[in-house]
Amino acid sequence: MHPVVFVGAFTLLGLLFALQEWVSIHSWNSHIPITFQLLIAAWCVHYFLLGTIFWLLWRWLGHHIQTASLMCMATRILPLSLAASVFEEMIWVAVFPQLPIGMPRMTYWHRLAFHLDSDTVDSLVMFWAVFFLLRGIGYYQLYRETAYAAVQLETQFANAQLRALRMQLNPHFLFNTMNSISSLMQTDIAAADKMLEQLSSLLRITLERGDVQLIPLSDEMEFIEMYLAMQDRRFSGRVRQEVYIEPDLYDALVPAMILQPIIENAYTHGLSRLDRDGLIAIDVRRNDAMLSISVINSGRGLHLESSNGAGRRGVGLANVKDRLRLHYGNGQAFTIEELAHGKVRVALTLPLQFSERPTRQLTGYGV
Amino acid sequence: MIHTVLADDEVLARQKLRQLLRNEPEIDVVGEGATAIETIELVRATKPQLLFLDIQMPGMDGFDVATELCSDTNVMPKPHIIFTTAHDQYALRAFEIHAMDYLLKPFTQERLSSAVDRARKEILLGNQQPAGNSATGQTGSRYTTRIVFKSRGRIVFLPVSDIRWISAEENYVRICTQNETHLLRETMARLEEKLDPDMFLRVHRSSIVNLQHVKEVRTEADGEYAVVLVNGEKLTMSRGYRSRINGWLTHS
Repeated sequence: MHPVVFVGAFTLLGLLFALQEWVSIHSWNSHIPITFQLLIAAWCVHYFLLGTIFWLLWRWLGHHIQTASLMCMATRILPLSLAASVFEEMIWVAVFPQLPIGMPRMTYWHRLAFHLDSDTVDSLVMFWAVFFLLRGIGYYQLYRETAYAAVQLETQFANAQLRALRMQLNPHFLFNTMNSISSLMQTDIAAADKMLEQLSSLLRITLERGDVQLIPLSDEMEFIEMYLAMQDRRFSGRVRQEVYIEPDLYDALVPAMILQPIIENAYTHGLSRLDRDGLIAIDVRRNDAMLSISVINSGRGLHLESSNGAGRRGVGLANVKDRLRLHYGNGQAFTIEELAHGKVRVALTLPLQFSERPTRQLTGYGV
Repeated sequence: MIHTVLADDEVLARQKLRQLLRNEPEIDVVGEGATAIETIELVRATKPQLLFLDIQMPGMDGFDVATELCSDTNVMPKPHIIFTTAHDQYALRAFEIHAMDYLLKPFTQERLSSAVDRARKEILLGNQQPAGNSATGQTGSRYTTRIVFKSRGRIVFLPVSDIRWISAEENYVRICTQNETHLLRETMARLEEKLDPDMFLRVHRSSIVNLQHVKEVRTEADGEYAVVLVNGEKLTMSRGYRSRINGWLTHS
């Protein structure tokens, strides 16, 4: 609290007491010959002094206000409060020698004894009221800070987890592709070159995207289309690719690189087992307030996979699941099921959110 | 033959370009520059029609070279410039100074061929490289002839004549060319305004067609109209737009 506010509040309190006394003097018709100005000055100075002294004490006590034990309060702070009250009264009595009014002339010490008699309890009450008020505020602030730190920590942890999960995807995919290029280099230079260009394009847009977790679906699909084109080359047209997206969903937000592991799985565990007529179908629709993404691939079903695939499919998909949970908590769903004829469907449902700002796109017109 | 100069500070980059260009008919590499200064001198001496220019070179960069050559009255005609670079952030600037194309490294023979084909066409037609760095259309036409955008990690300088049709998808438009489609965040109204109405026609609330690729307008069984393209693709047409295409059909 700013000292001006603190001392100002005390002085205001003094002013209120002065007004109260003025009203009571007049309504009881007491014949105390005191002027309004003197009354105001006396009360205001009294409380101004109290405020100043208390303020200095709080500054000096600092965090002891929060930590003081009952013992400490009784043996140290109680005497302190008495001393502060007496000290304040001593200054005040020196400032107002004309008070008390209507009494025979008294010495300084007499006046001090007279005023201490009537004011000490008030001063002590003020002291302890402020003491406990500050103690309470301190506790509240501490509580707020702890809660805030906990929230911060939680967010940081979730972010770190998400970053780590995203990092797992890229190297896996990156090195597999580099291995393919390395293999192609021996046999088909042009094809290796083409794949290297595709990989560069993929890396370029991935690097550009940086650390952003949620991206518009159009950006995610741009990446997926490039990835599909690369897979299409590898599978030399054995797999038909179908993509359907409701056009008003292009700006919907999805976790970056959420689809790539699903599609990679569809190829490695399903489509690679077929020598012809493969199909991969990506379908994105609105479902009330949710976004539904489904990836269907033809293959040999889930059972055969688990018997000889040794749960490899699990790693990439577990990662997808974790990321969905971290982003949306219970507001999302992830299912994997076997359809007829060995087809497998992976379905994601997540809350439909749109980016507040559309992605900045480089587009220019001219000659 | 088309006299060509290559400029890149990296030997391997020049070597790759030279090798790929061997497969391109009518391209004759007359010199290679490793720095901006060297390149400018080479262009002054050999007066090539085509210049492959790296952007980041020690000292002056590719844009400095282009500016220098533009203001040099001794260099006539100006060479057509194809930028080759690892960075995509200069694409708009390259487009504005009328570069022919913008190749992101590493590029394939295929991608290089498409750039060279376009340059070859321009050079054989005797079209001059538009002089000056300003983008103000010296042709006086207020319509765009090229569009630049990023698509699938590549920079595309697309001549509008390559567009077959454009369809609206909410806040996006899909631009279809012979082999590819590109999704752009753009509105139909803004695109329509940029395109020459003698070349492009709005046939539906959500489609624009390039008239050069239209074969016929057909009445479908249900009484609706359809625009049939040369390659067999069909676009539905709104009644309200029917009169617009009639005018064009009677014209040709």
